Amino acid sequence: MIGYFARRLAAIVPVAIGVATLTFLIIHIVPGDPVTAMLGESAAPADIVGMRHRLGLDRPILVQYGAFLKGLAEGDLGQSIVYRRPVSRIIAERYPATLELAAAGMLVALVVALPLGFIAGSRPGGAGDIASMGFAIAGISIPHIYLGPLLMILFSLDLRWLPLTGRGGLAHLLLPAITLGTALAAILARMLRQSLVAVRESDYIRTAVSKGLTARAALIRHGLRNSLTSVVTLVGLQIGGLLSGALITEVIFSWPGIGRLLISAIGLRDYPLVEGCVLAFAMTYVVVNLLTDVVYGLIDPRVRYA
Amino acid sequence: MKLQKVTTNLLRAAGALRIAAVCVAFIACGTPRAIPPGTIQVDLEDTPTSTDPRFSTSAASSRVNELIFSSLVRPAGSGAFVGQLAESFERRGDTQIVFHLRHGVRFSDGKELTAGDVKYTFDSILDPKLNSPKRGALQHLKSIDAPDLYTIVMTTDRPYAPAAELGSQAIVPAATPPPAISEQIAPPGAGPFRMVSFSRDESVVLERNPYFPAAPNSPQKIVFKIVPDPTVRALELIEGVCDLSENNIQPEVLPSLATKPQLSIIKSAGTGYRYIAFNFRHDPRLRDLRVRRAIAYSIDRRAIVNSMMRGTARIASGLLAPENWAYSADVSTYPYDPAKARELLEQAGYPVLKNGMRNLRLVFKTTPEQLRLATALQAMLKDVGIELDIRSNEFATFYDDTLRGNFDLVSMYWVGVNDPNHYYMIFDSKMTPPRGYNRGYYSNPEMDRLLESAQITFDFDDRRKLYARVQQIAADDLPYVSLWWQDNVVVLNRSLQGFVPYPNGSLKSLATVTLTSPAGAEQAN
Repeated sequence: MIGYFARRLAAIVPVAIGVATLTFLIIHIVPGDPVTAMLGESAAPADIVGMRHRLGLDRPILVQYGAFLKGLAEGDLGQSIVYRRPVSRIIAERYPATLELAAAGMLVALVVALPLGFIAGSRPGGAGDIASMGFAIAGISIPHIYLGPLLMILFSLDLRWLPLTGRGGLAHLLLPAITLGTALAAILARMLRQSLVAVRESDYIRTAVSKGLTARAALIRHGLRNSLTSVVTLVGLQIGGLLSGALITEVIFSWPGIGRLLISAIGLRDYPLVEGCVLAFAMTYVVVNLLTDVVYGLIDPRVRYA
Repeated sequence: MKLQKVTTNLLRAAGALRIAAVCVAFIACGTPRAIPPGTIQVDLEDTPTSTDPRFSTSAASSRVNELIFSSLVRPAGSGAFVGQLAESFERRGDTQIVFHLRHGVRFSDGKELTAGDVKYTFDSILDPKLNSPKRGALQHLKSIDAPDLYTIVMTTDRPYAPAAELGSQAIVPAATPPPAISEQIAPPGAGPFRMVSFSRDESVVLERNPYFPAAPNSPQKIVFKIVPDPTVRALELIEGVCDLSENNIQPEVLPSLATKPQLSIIKSAGTGYRYIAFNFRHDPRLRDLRVRRAIAYSIDRRAIVNSMMRGTARIASGLLAPENWAYSADVSTYPYDPAKARELLEQAGYPVLKNGMRNLRLVFKTTPEQLRLATALQAMLKDVGIELDIRSNEFATFYDDTLRGNFDLVSMYWVGVNDPNHYYMIFDSKMTPPRGYNRGYYSNPEMDRLLESAQITFDFDDRRKLYARVQQIAADDLPYVSLWWQDNVVVLNRSLQGFVPYPNGSLKSLATVTLTSPAGAEQAN
């Protein structure tokens, strides 16, 4: 098992280099220039040249790439062009906010999806199934950019229960988390339902029922755990969707995370900051998937790591 | 039996919902939204780029910095410059302008503002090592001298009539270093407020400058909150979290906001100018005046202003709004006339029946308003036989396209135009990028001669006559198709009294507004 995780951890290195290289290439290929964005059109040509030199942007692209990779190997993501501070420090300041939002979104998704999926899967075709899957379809269909303001109108303007925007205590977290978690809840609920429907027909459930357990009890005691493996797989895979959803959610709720930071950095062509933010997102995705594999083993004893 | 089961399930669901609601209410009760008395919140759509006025160029930075810093002169409503830190100013020959400073003006740290501070501010901008983006705007400033504590002498490299505008740079205390990081708190200024905190993408907090006189009941603290989403800005106004929002509420939301008893909407004439510029270098078809005029005739500005913009703009005849001292109404106009547009296109060799004109590319910055405008233009031009390919890009790509001349038509906006010398920057044939803003490479020798003459003409009336002719040529030649002058639209809480919008959208009135309850009072749940 230790060998397995050591290999998985080692695999992070080429993934990081791949992501960093792709991001470096894309941000340098797209039109736009940080110096013009900062100095404006009326800047003297000499000033533009001077600033390009100071930022190292006048060097050949391969030299810039080499310096970037060297910095990455030393754990140095460089200096933000706009903030004029180390990228790693800026990300460290903003990352907890995004992590908090993503974790809360995931929690909302699980809290909603597990009961709904179970209700739907335990009696396919019943009223609970129709209602749960109706929610699932609505949840998948409604975009963050629409759901967020709707929740604000209901909970902040009409009921006046929750604050509209910003980051603070639990009250500030609730609406962004629901906005972010709803689509995932819908996907997970559907997956759990499908899984439970399949499990209901299994021999071991029939055996449990024939031994005197009620269908519901058999499903809870024996079926649910098996069904959860597919849900856990999906949770790992959906982390990417959750993080990209965080980008929009952070803008809607003025949430000071790295999603918003990334959008602003792209607009200003702050190359080191864009590269750092994308790398942070990618590493989060990789680590969560690794953790997902750990959870597999805990849920399903048949899973062995080799 | 079945009915009983359904009822039981429904009751269970209702119970669960009640528990959830109680939980939410409990969470909410733990965090009252308390706004200290005397504090107001103003929502901005963008974060300021720099808090040091020597390095800031964005509109958001200007809105905040105008409340912290003062300059030698400031633009009046007519675009002419009047003294601010300068008690008076006068010309000395063709190349010098002398400013006499007010005595007893203090920065927010208590130090007196003197000519040394003014000289230092300008010298640091001109220092190539500091890479100030404002250096280009001071290209004609040869030197600046401070012969005594209260006198500033600026010398230009040649006779330069618009020299007073040079004095509109905000002043920082002498020896202020350039900001080490972009989130640094602004240096002390001589304006009505001082900065106490700045968190990029989140908020900027200002407090009263203790050395600047303030009216009783005026706000002691302003929180500028960065709220990028336009819908959320409107919701914050309705909820009472935000007290004022200027020029960043979508027009279609205004009728709904007007029905809220706690809000008032102030609409005033603005000088922001929306236009379509042609690229004379990229597509030879656009060098044909008949084509440019056909495009101008094919745009129903009135319909766009009335429907899309809910009447929050005035149809423009040129860059300068009627309030500007140099404005001339004696220019050609192009009212909506699709038949005339088709006729002109036919004369130019692009008849509708032979597929008209294809593959004209309009580029613009991606915003919902711009996208709607581009779509409307596309439909209107199609009606006269022009197929418009619309390209929407985020700002950096859009900006790069305009600088490289990678467009046929571009939809842009000028804000803060004061002196008519701006015409030189946009239409003189020497002012193509990177030197100036003539992005469409327009060239007309008569226009060049007039613009360069106006720069060395010091008599007010003579200058006005020259710019009247400039406006006529611009309207005849159509390097730009004028669309409209954008009104200033301020949505504010009724508890804020005395807010007067500036034509250029400045928020300086926040220094003089007064507060009546309940704004700024405790707002609990």
